[in-house]
Amino acid sequence: MRSRTIPLIAAAAAASLLLASCGGGNEDDGATTGTLDFYTNKAAWEPDFDELNAQSEGDVDISLNTTGYSDAAQYDAFIKQSFRTDKSPGLFTWQTGPSLAELVDEGLVAETTDIWTKAVDEGWIGDDLKDAYTFDGKQYCVPMNVAYWVMYYNKHVFEEQGIAEPTTWAELDAAATRLSGAGITPYYQTSTLFTFPWFQQLVAGTDPELYNGLATGEVKYTDPRIVAIMETWRDQQEAGWFSDAGATVDPAVGLKQGDFAMINFGSFFNGSLDGAGMVSGEDYDMFVIPAVNPDLDKTPVAVESGPLCVAENSSQKTLGLEYSEWWMSPDAQTAWSAARGDVAFNPKATVADPMLEELGTTVAGDEYERYDRYYEATPTPILTVALEQFGAFIANPGDPLPFLETIQAEADDYWADQG
Amino acid sequence: MTSDQTPNPRRAKDQYRWSAAGFIAPGVLLVAVLLYLPLLWTTFLSLTEYNGLGDPEWVGFANYVEMLDDPEFIGSVLNTLLWVAGTLLVPVGIGLGVALLTWNLKGGTWLRLPFLIPYALSGIGVGVIWSFILSGDGALDQALAAFGIADTPRWLVDAPLNTVVMILATAWQGVGVNALLFTIGLQSIPKEPLEAARVDGANGLRLFTSILWPMLRPLTAVVVGLSIVASLKTFDIVQGMTKGGPGRASETLALTMYKETFVNSEYGLGSAIAVFLTVVTLAASILYLRQQLSSKHGV
Repeated sequence: MRSRTIPLIAAAAAASLLLASCGGGNEDDGATTGTLDFYTNKAAWEPDFDELNAQSEGDVDISLNTTGYSDAAQYDAFIKQSFRTDKSPGLFTWQTGPSLAELVDEGLVAETTDIWTKAVDEGWIGDDLKDAYTFDGKQYCVPMNVAYWVMYYNKHVFEEQGIAEPTTWAELDAAATRLSGAGITPYYQTSTLFTFPWFQQLVAGTDPELYNGLATGEVKYTDPRIVAIMETWRDQQEAGWFSDAGATVDPAVGLKQGDFAMINFGSFFNGSLDGAGMVSGEDYDMFVIPAVNPDLDKTPVAVESGPLCVAENSSQKTLGLEYSEWWMSPDAQTAWSAARGDVAFNPKATVADPMLEELGTTVAGDEYERYDRYYEATPTPILTVALEQFGAFIANPGDPLPFLETIQAEADDYWADQG
Repeated sequence: MTSDQTPNPRRAKDQYRWSAAGFIAPGVLLVAVLLYLPLLWTTFLSLTEYNGLGDPEWVGFANYVEMLDDPEFIGSVLNTLLWVAGTLLVPVGIGLGVALLTWNLKGGTWLRLPFLIPYALSGIGVGVIWSFILSGDGALDQALAAFGIADTPRWLVDAPLNTVVMILATAWQGVGVNALLFTIGLQSIPKEPLEAARVDGANGLRLFTSILWPMLRPLTAVVVGLSIVASLKTFDIVQGMTKGGPGRASETLALTMYKETFVNSEYGLGSAIAVFLTVVTLAASILYLRQQLSSKHGV
C-alpha cells in the first residue's frame, strides 16, 4: 500500500505546484494606509524614496517598500508580465509617450482624473504637464518628477578660459571653439543609450515643428533639413568638440576632472554632481541651451517627465492612488526635492537647491517653449534603432545618410503598422 | 505480513509500473512545464505579433521573413559565426596547448591553476573587468601611453576588432577549463601505446599527431561540441562590454533576440530569432557530435 502512496503524493504535489503557479485575478483590498509595494527602474534613487517614508508616514500613514531595477529592459518586461498575475504593482514608475499610451489602451493603469483635477485646482501643477498624462480626456498616472535638459558646465574651466555663460548659439559655438583651441574637449558624449541629446537639441533648436514632425511620422529622418543638421553635428565631431565615444568615465566625475567642459543633461544631474563632490554654484553651474535658430520666438527646452502609475488590477489600487494624491502635494514635493536634489513640478513646493529653483522659474517663463524629450516623444521601436544609429554615428562620424536611412526604414515599418 | 495465496506476478508487475510512473511523473511534469511548454509557447509567439500586453495576433511567418530580410540580423549571424570560429581557435586551441605542455610535468597542476581561476567569474563580471581595460580611456591605453604609444586602436568601438577583443577576453576565462578537460583526456590515455611509440622513436610533434591527438578524439569532440554551443549563444560578455554596439556592430544572435524581445517589445520577432538560434544550435550539435562520435571511430 505504502509503495503506491508515496509516488501518488509526489505526483499530486507536483500538480498542485503547477496549478498554484497559474493563479491569477485579484481584487482591490481597499486599504488606505499601510505599506505600499513600489517598483522602479531607478534603482539608484531607492535611498531617496526610502528617505521620503518619514514624511509620508506622518502625512498619510503610507510607507513605500521599494524594489529598484537597474536594467530598464528587464524592468519593462517585469512590469508587463506582472499585469497577468495577482502581483501587479500598487505603484510603479514608467515612461510617458507611446509606452504609457500602450498601457492605457489595454486598460492596465488606474485613472487619476480626480487627483489631477484637485491638483490643478489647488495650484499644485501647471496645465502644460497634463497633456502627457491625458488620453481621451482622462488622466492616468501622476508625474514622478520633471527634469529640464540643460547644459551643465565646469565653472573653473569656464573661468580659466574667460568664457561667460552663452546666451546665443553663436556664443556657444565660440565657447566650444575657444575651449577646443585650448586643448579642452568642449562637450561630453557617449555611444551607448544617451546618444540622442545633441540630435534633439540641434533639431528642436533649429525648428520645433521639424522635431515634432519626426515624433509623429510627418517628417522623415531622411529629410534634407535633418541631413543638414546631422552634417553640422558631424562637422562638430570632426572639429574634436566631443569626448571619446568609447570612454566609460562617469560623466559627473569627467566634468569634475575637466575631461570635458560641458555636458547636456537632465536637471536631475545636480544629484550626481553633488554626489561626485562638486558644489552647486561653486564648482558647476548650468544654462538653458540657446536656440540654434536665432529667429525662433521662444527658446525650446526639452522636458522629461516620468510617471508614477497604479495598476488597475492591483490589490493595492486604493493605497496606490492615495499615495499618488499625496505625492502631488507641496509637502511631498518639498521633501522629494530635498531628498533627490531635483526640480519640483509643484510651484508651491520649496526647492532645496537655489540653482534648481531658479531654473524652474526661468523655464516656466514665456520666453521658453517646453517640448517632450526625444526619449519619450519617439515610439519605442524607432527610438531603439535611432539610439543605436546615433551611437554608431558618434563612433564613426561620416556621411549621415546611411544612419538616417536605417532609422527611417524602421519608422516606415512602424507608421505602416499604425495604419 | 504473511499470505497463503500464491503471488500474482502480473499484478506485481503492474504495481511496479504504477509506482515507477508515479516516481517519474514529477520529473517529467517539471521538464514538460519548464522546458517543452516554453519551447512550444515561444514557437507559437514567433508566428504572432505581440508587444507583451494584451493578446498575440497571428501573423504566420511574417516575423521570419522580417528577420531574414534585416541586414542587421545578417550582421548578427556573421558576428556569431566569428564567435564560433574564434572560440574554437583561441580558448580551445590554447587550452589544448596548455594541457600538452603541463600534463607530464611535475607540479603541472600549479601551472594550470592560474588559467582556471577566471573560470569562477561570471561572464558579466569578465565583461566589466575587460571593459575597464579596453575602453577608450582604459588601462590598456594608459599603459601603452606610458610607453609612448598614443595612437591606439579603438578596441571596443571599431568592428570587427571589438568582437575579436571580446573573444580574447572570453579566452582569458575559458582557457583554464579547456586545459583541465584536455589534461583529463591525456591522463586517461593508456601508458602502453605511449611507451611503445616512444620506444619506436616517436617524440614531440610526431607523438602528438600519431598517438595523442587520435586518442584524445572523444574528448576533443566533447570540448569542441561544448564550445560550439556556448559560442552560438554568446550573450553575457557582449552585453557587459559593448551592449552589441556601437550601433549593432558587435551584436550576436542571442543579443539580437534579447533586444528585439525586451527592449523593442517585439516578442514575436524575438521569438522567431530564438527559434532560429535553437534550430541552428541543435543542428550544429547533432551534426557535429554524430560525425565525431559515430561507431566507425570506435566510440
